[in-house]
Amino acid sequence: MSSPQFREPLIEVKDLYVYFYTYAGVVKAIEDMTFTIYKGEKFCMVGETGCGKSVTSRALANIVPSPGRIVKGKVIYYRDGKPINILELSEEQLREIRGKEIAYIVQDPSSALDPLYTIGYQIVETMIDHYTVKDWKEGYKRAVELLREVLMPDPEQRIKNYPHELSGGQRQRAVISIGLSNMPRLLIADEPTSSLDVTVQAQLLELLRRLVREHGLTLFLITHDMGVVAEMCDRVAVLYAGNIVELAPVDEIFKNPKHPYTMGLLRAVPNPQADIEKLEPIPGTIPNLIYPPPGCRFHPRCPFARDVCKREKPPLVEVGPGHYVRCWLHAE
Amino acid sequence: MADIKRFLARRALTFIPTLIGVTFLAYIIAFAIPANPAQAWAGGIKANPEVVARIIKEYHLNDPWYVQYYYFMKGILTNSIIDPRWGYPVMTYMLSRFPITFQLTLFALFFLIVLGIPLGIVSALKKDSWIDALVRTWALVGVSVPIFWLGYIFIYVFFYQLGWINIAGIPYPKVHITGVPIIDAMLSGEWNIVWENIKRFILPGFTLGFAGIGVIARLVRNSFLEAINSDYIYFARMRGLKYRRIMTHALRNALVPVVTVLGLQFGGLLGGAPITETVFSIPGMGRAMVDAIFSMDFPLLIAGTFLVAIIYVITNLIVDILYAVIDPRVRF
Ligand SMILES: Nc1ncnc2c1ncn2[C@@H]1O[C@H](COP(=O)(O)OP(=O)(O)OP(=O)(O)O)[C@@H](O)[C@H]1O
Ligand code: SF4
Ligand SMILES: [Mg+2]
Repeated sequence: MSSPQFREPLIEVKDLYVYFYTYAGVVKAIEDMTFTIYKGEKFCMVGETGCGKSVTSRALANIVPSPGRIVKGKVIYYRDGKPINILELSEEQLREIRGKEIAYIVQDPSSALDPLYTIGYQIVETMIDHYTVKDWKEGYKRAVELLREVLMPDPEQRIKNYPHELSGGQRQRAVISIGLSNMPRLLIADEPTSSLDVTVQAQLLELLRRLVREHGLTLFLITHDMGVVAEMCDRVAVLYAGNIVELAPVDEIFKNPKHPYTMGLLRAVPNPQADIEKLEPIPGTIPNLIYPPPGCRFHPRCPFARDVCKREKPPLVEVGPGHYVRCWLHAE
Repeated sequence: MADIKRFLARRALTFIPTLIGVTFLAYIIAFAIPANPAQAWAGGIKANPEVVARIIKEYHLNDPWYVQYYYFMKGILTNSIIDPRWGYPVMTYMLSRFPITFQLTLFALFFLIVLGIPLGIVSALKKDSWIDALVRTWALVGVSVPIFWLGYIFIYVFFYQLGWINIAGIPYPKVHITGVPIIDAMLSGEWNIVWENIKRFILPGFTLGFAGIGVIARLVRNSFLEAINSDYIYFARMRGLKYRRIMTHALRNALVPVVTVLGLQFGGLLGGAPITETVFSIPGMGRAMVDAIFSMDFPLLIAGTFLVAIIYVITNLIVDILYAVIDPRVRF
């Protein structure tokens, strides 16, 4: 059940807290976050907008955007079996890891590329700065191969194009090429397809799956789409308002969801495994993270909320092999 | 390339209405002055009536204003308007003074670039530091302090008190290639003349550029901050690019709007030249125009206005071309 084929950890997040210090107050974006990504697996994170998926993924390479700060916790990255504490590295050591060992594919490809440089240039510079190609000439050759690999039409011409000359799907392919350029050990794809239309989306997801398989990468995929989860992932973490509320192998989540929020999510999307036709949005609104609800953060929207839920935060407990839930209903 | 030719042709056509408009306005203003220029040009109250009559005939002074304007513009374009005071063709006279004004403007532009841009970058990198405060103050003071006042203060300090600079004569090199003294001196290797020119023009140049330095610094600061906080710079960090390269990306993007404003500032500098030239007794076009005003020599004045307008329009054209060179999103 707990995907026994993946047992060697690649990155461990322990008791992570990320706060944003804004004028309006301290945004408690991530609290008490613990999970492990194993080598070779496809790990997913789902949740509504603003629940902290992107922030969590940025914390893995210690690149939380300001005014955000990691206030507590550990991120342990395993390189050749040796643990490295990411949060204690120097800026230069981090730079060497970012984009080379831990690479990102970002949510919005149109603003992530520098408008003044060709996409070829931007792919190549990513390799040059990590010394994975000998020179610019070799870099451009490699860039063409990469673009061909992500099924960019006419890659020899495309490398000479500026971002504004490409379609949204082509830009996203360019960003994926950048992510792959140094053959990272962990590829973090933050909603890589959410800005694209359905056919391109399906094509790119298929592509990612193939790349992971062929290059033996580990994938950390962020999405808010349970359909994508079902198609892509080995294990999935469900986030709600900065907390992991459920974490389980993907079949388990769909067959045996335990957390009321997860159940709501499965009703709120067309479930590919359960064939539920009707969409039911989860009632209520996303909580304010400056003054998060006390106790269980989900209690204002939870149909099963009890007294204890309003007072005390439930712990994350293992209810089955590799199946964790944060809910008083399941915490004996 | 065909694009750029078509662009230039199109822009050249738009010059015509601009130039007509500017000269027309200048003409109307000069025409509206309730004085008798013919008398003044002929030598004042004791002028010989025959001479006055000849002047009236030659300059069509008794014709309606549109006839006068027509003859005037025709005269300017064929360079057949003779200056009533000096007896030279007015355009020849103005053009002979242009290199000096050009040199002054170059000095001012030099300060705008070598002080304005670095100050802006430093104040962006050290936001809210004393440098940032200085730049903010400079921008404010710069636009509120009159040029002549600043000029006299500088003359007092650097000429009377310290004796570091010259304020008389223009050191000309032996050769005449472009007509601009410092450029000709550089071309012919007369380095002592170069140095003399620097000593002569450094203060007027700084005075003329003073307001612009603050404006440019502020603009660079803001656009640099905007670039640094952009998604593509964040993504550049996520890709683990080196610090130097990230700064290059930010800087190039930040300079896009600066080029436009530098072009506009150049026009503004030309407009400020009359006062600066008068204060520092530099025999340039601006000074000639001030003199022309005092002696009601409006043919000369309008010839000057015409030249300034042409320079302004050409500068704008250069800015447009530069703009397209540095920003691939701009098309001709
Ligand atoms: N720059 C910021 N300043 C202040 N708060 C921020 C900032 N970035 C993120 N946050 C806070 O962190 C929380 C999590 O944001 P995050 O970007 O991780 O959400 P997400 O799950 O990726 O959402 P989406 O699906 O919309 O991408 C948000 O609710 C927001 O309040
Ligand atoms: S802890 Fe309580 S409020 Fe929270 S999800 Fe479980 S039942 Fe609902
Ligand atoms: Mg996000």
